[in-house]
Amino acid sequence: MSRRISRRSLLRGAGGIAIGLPFLEAMMGCSRSKGPSTSTSARAAMDTPKRLVLFFSPNGTVVNRWRPAGSETGFTLSDILAPLEPHQRDLLILDGMVNAPAGYGPGDDHERGIGCLWTGKELQPGPFQGGAGDPSGFADGISVDQEIANRIGGSSRFKSLEFGVQTNDSAGATVWDRMCYAGPNQPLPPTSNPYAAFDRIFGDMSADSGQLARRMAQRRSVLDAVTDDYSQLAQRLGASDRRKLEAHLTAIREVELRLAGSDSGRPPACQRPDLGVPIDHTLNDNFPAVGRLQMDLLAMAFACDLTRVASLQWSSSVSGTVHSWVGVNRDHHGLSHESDGNADAQEQLVRINRWYAEQLAYLIAKLKQIPEGQGTAFDNTVIVWSNELAKGNEHSHAPLPLVLAGSAGGVFRTGRFLTYDYAYHNDLLIALLNAFGINAATFGNPSWCRGPLPNLS
Amino acid sequence: MNFRSMAIRLLFAIALWCVSGCSGRSSLLNNGLPSNNNGDSQNTGEALCRAGVTSAGSSPMRRLTRFEYNNTVRDLLGDTTEPARDFAPEEQALGFNNNASVLTVSPVLAEQYMTAAEGLAARAAQNLPALLPCDPSDQQGCGRRFIESFGKRAWRRPLQPDEVDRLYAVFNQARTTYDFSTGIQMAMQVMLQSPAFLYRVETGLLPEGGAAYARLTGWEMASRLSYMLWSSMPDDALLAAAEAGQLSTADQIAVQARRMLADPKARQAVANFHQQWLKLDKIDRLEKDATVFPSFQPELRPLLRAETATFIDFVIWDDRGDLQTLLSASYSFRNSALSQFYGEPGPSGDTFQRVELNPARRLGILTHAGILALTSKSNQTSPVQRGKFVREQLLCDQLPPPPPGVAATPPALDPTLTTRQRFAAHSQNPACAGCHQLMDPVGFGLENFDGVGKWRAEENGIAIDASGTVINSDVGAYSGPTDLAQKLATSDKVRACAVTQWFRFGYGRGETDDDRCSMRALKTQFAASGYNIRELLLALTQTDAFLYRKIEGSAP
Repeated sequence: MSRRISRRSLLRGAGGIAIGLPFLEAMMGCSRSKGPSTSTSARAAMDTPKRLVLFFSPNGTVVNRWRPAGSETGFTLSDILAPLEPHQRDLLILDGMVNAPAGYGPGDDHERGIGCLWTGKELQPGPFQGGAGDPSGFADGISVDQEIANRIGGSSRFKSLEFGVQTNDSAGATVWDRMCYAGPNQPLPPTSNPYAAFDRIFGDMSADSGQLARRMAQRRSVLDAVTDDYSQLAQRLGASDRRKLEAHLTAIREVELRLAGSDSGRPPACQRPDLGVPIDHTLNDNFPAVGRLQMDLLAMAFACDLTRVASLQWSSSVSGTVHSWVGVNRDHHGLSHESDGNADAQEQLVRINRWYAEQLAYLIAKLKQIPEGQGTAFDNTVIVWSNELAKGNEHSHAPLPLVLAGSAGGVFRTGRFLTYDYAYHNDLLIALLNAFGINAATFGNPSWCRGPLPNLS
Repeated sequence: MNFRSMAIRLLFAIALWCVSGCSGRSSLLNNGLPSNNNGDSQNTGEALCRAGVTSAGSSPMRRLTRFEYNNTVRDLLGDTTEPARDFAPEEQALGFNNNASVLTVSPVLAEQYMTAAEGLAARAAQNLPALLPCDPSDQQGCGRRFIESFGKRAWRRPLQPDEVDRLYAVFNQARTTYDFSTGIQMAMQVMLQSPAFLYRVETGLLPEGGAAYARLTGWEMASRLSYMLWSSMPDDALLAAAEAGQLSTADQIAVQARRMLADPKARQAVANFHQQWLKLDKIDRLEKDATVFPSFQPELRPLLRAETATFIDFVIWDDRGDLQTLLSASYSFRNSALSQFYGEPGPSGDTFQRVELNPARRLGILTHAGILALTSKSNQTSPVQRGKFVREQLLCDQLPPPPPGVAATPPALDPTLTTRQRFAAHSQNPACAGCHQLMDPVGFGLENFDGVGKWRAEENGIAIDASGTVINSDVGAYSGPTDLAQKLATSDKVRACAVTQWFRFGYGRGETDDDRCSMRALKTQFAASGYNIRELLLALTQTDAFLYRKIEGSAP
């Protein structure tokens, strides 16, 4: 009987409206250690976080309607990039880049395009029967965001967050649908359900701090025992099964690390996001609304310093999204195969790619609204927007449309349009690693590396 | 060389690329990877297929799919909340979502396993007397007994003493820190996140005399059987058979398999196969242009899916159970609303009942409106998609998408032509013909069904020509939809493809060169049974690929 009473009083506490703020603080760990060294102002002074966002849109672009006109510093944005005009001085637009590993190895052009985009390495052989070419497996190496997350992600609650918008989950995802990798053959599926993302990132709000602390302690001891099971079993298995278990073990350790949690204070801009009236996140016509929700969650995860590395994958390579909200009534992939001579199709593709530029502009503006130090969260961020193809109707991997937004804390000298002569995109990935303090000379397949892409800083 | 001849050469080269790109890539795989072998797996290595000579491809460790997870916790705990519903979806290879080589675990999924285990344990602990095998007045003794008894079912094998000790330590620590129930729950959480629960771990028995293949332990065999035939964990009888050493021989395994096939749980596994093979879940998401197909309402989607699912279930379990009936039966299952949609006679009321089809119009699953609609565009039919569906799902041919630079658009709608006439360009343009000759002339056979699967004798006032030919197969020429259905239903290539699909689904992997003899045995037994699916399931438990485990790193 006594247990029942204590349980009821606990519930009454948890159900109270006024409990909202303490939830959030409990989640941030404030209530557990609110020492002077973790006060907001002190934290901002000692630690200016740098952040990375990978931003993917599919099926190639319309290159001559994407490429700006003019010189390095005196340029006019093209039809497709025009929505980014308010942020022009924050952009680095890179022309003449090639996704070189995507020209080799197993897989079709889309598979290689998305799988090599952030890994810089040819795909593994495997059972995915794409459109053409030898059947492929997943990517053969870690993606650049994860390499960076391994370096800088430890101080935040989530090492990284992978967001998706209708990434083909229900139809059976393949290598076409995965762009982030924790390592060879270790895809990180994006979370395409904004409500599940919300629960994961901003969850734990339904418990008071005492409950939460108890749950965290229990989880840690459960996961300790679970990791023992994995380590012991892995030793008894053959090489490929062992690799699989070891990857699983790494995933559990990451959850454990997260539970250990950072005790940094809650930045002032951190608010619990409001997702509004629930919508069906799988419906084609809700694509823009889902994307908006995911960008809001991403921005708030930054504002709350819950993560410093994120990605946003709009649909998948070979996307069949029908962009009806910009007056396009055909599936994107089919449209992307139309010839250059089909002016109507080209106009529709411009509208689609322009719409993605609008989304990037929204995310930039959102990050600019988050005060941080003397400026905004955007000042310390770099967003990299690219695609699995250059032109859909050629299935080409050059010139890869690449736009950087933000300077990553002053590392990149923005407001410029740079033209390269078929520079390897691996070199951009190296430059990104360098920007986050990783002293790498190569990334991915070293054959496609000449050193960090020049002239970015 | 002038420009024109260069252009012709180029076109020819494209056409050749297309033909070569389309002609092969059928069934047999090398080391789990598709080869360019055209599906006949019996031309080499046949001499090796003798009794006493073992050969089986590597079987990677398999993790539970969401479907298997949900079924397993239902059978383990009576928990029907389907906690895996929101797990990260499986990647899919070779048409199925249980392909072991591509199923990995990301941090998000590891976290979902954690929260699911917490929820399962908490719900189970709400009724401790039902969960525990003992009186908890002796907390420590009962905790240990629970770990042993629940562990044996959760891990589908008895726990080793050191495993019991480690779980007991978690239990006892939590018991003293919190309370008994929390101790039980935390031990359960560990068990439900352990590889022994989430994966099907197989190490096999020690092989004799350095052999390349090992037999499985009885416990491992019990799980192979239950996940293939039930998509769930073994029941008590199967665990008892494992414990008694009665899963050692092919005959003993057949006895269990027959028992299991008579259990209703076998229906869920077979339904899962067909849902994936025939892409039935796509019916749930069908979108049709309301101006072209006003009769297609969203409420029809579950009815269309239910028609095909109910029909398949009935054919396999309550009728002859053979492939031919599946592809050419002259009956189906509909309710009143669905019959009205079809505009064909049917029952009244919401309950699905058997209806006899007009055998001059419809026979078998290919003529079900759901499948016809999911292989159509939103505003018109698609002979290409329908042909591709038959090629890939029923004939196991692999087709590439249009090469770069070729538009994947259907010819523009034209009120003076039939769809077939509009698609004629595909056969006239050599760049297209290479591939499209494989697809369009198959899809033309279904042109009597519009984009939502309703019958039509003419289109735009012109009589439909639904004759055609299925090249690169033993199907050949046909004269209309029912003739096409009947010819596919008795095609050896379709039969071989069904075996291939079941192999991939049943074993959770692609077939390899080492599986030639298993594949051959399956085809032989499938034929001997009159192509009975239930018998094929039984045969799947009798192959080397099922009975043995290839030791990694060993050569055959």
